[in-house]
Amino acid sequence: MSDSIFFLLYFALSLSPWIVSLIGTLLYQTAKKDTLLQREKAHYVLNGDNLSTLSKPLFGREVKEFQMVMTSVVMSPSWIQITIGRIIAIFGGQINVFTKIIDWARREAKQRLREDILEAGFDEVINLRLETATITRARGGKDKTSGIEIVAYGTAIKY
Amino acid sequence: MQPSINLPFTNIETIPGRTIVQSLGVVTGSTVRAKNVFKDIGAGLKNIVGGELKAYTELLQESRNEALYRMLFDAQARGANAVVNVRFATSSVAGGAAELLAYGTAVIIQ
Repeated sequence: MSDSIFFLLYFALSLSPWIVSLIGTLLYQTAKKDTLLQREKAHYVLNGDNLSTLSKPLFGREVKEFQMVMTSVVMSPSWIQITIGRIIAIFGGQINVFTKIIDWARREAKQRLREDILEAGFDEVINLRLETATITRARGGKDKTSGIEIVAYGTAIKY
Repeated sequence: MQPSINLPFTNIETIPGRTIVQSLGVVTGSTVRAKNVFKDIGAGLKNIVGGELKAYTELLQESRNEALYRMLFDAQARGANAVVNVRFATSSVAGGAAELLAYGTAVIIQ
């Protein structure tokens, strides 16, 4: 009798991170993405887009001040998403769960750059570059942590 | 905390409003970082639900600043007074470690 209770407890405990992962994927990530969308919308209404990949400001405007700016963000898929991704990877094709995470990370990095330069009093970022780095799990370890780092950098200018 | 070097640097080809008189070649700065065991505990828990791992964001930001600082130090040692066309690159060395590289062209401006 006590054995079966112990077994049930063990079962529930070993399963609980997966339940947390499922809830987190469905609720936490959706909420965070919604907030990001709101931030992006608020920004577009006010300022248009002030990021560009051109190496000179448009219309030959004169630059008064400049500074190199850089933001980064590390995003990771949840355990559930990693598992789904691995299953899809057997068959090949687009792995939608990872595409979404990377897209989210890029948007977040760009949005932070927009907000940062406005706070510092600059008008625009020119020559924007997006760089990607992966954080892999250490080989042979029990460590499951993995993620992707996106760096957005460019030159902030003031007209 | 490292001392700051007061050298203007951009990732465009020129320093706005100034003319470049001499190029002193490519300067680089790099650093190799591995994940931190203690920060890993928090990040590992956050990894279950996914989303941003703030501990790693800070760690990599620090590493990038370190690489940038080394690049600027190199430029200063060559007698440059500005660095243009700065780029970042990353490569993974081994499991869990990453190299962050900053490189650019050291120049003398008027």
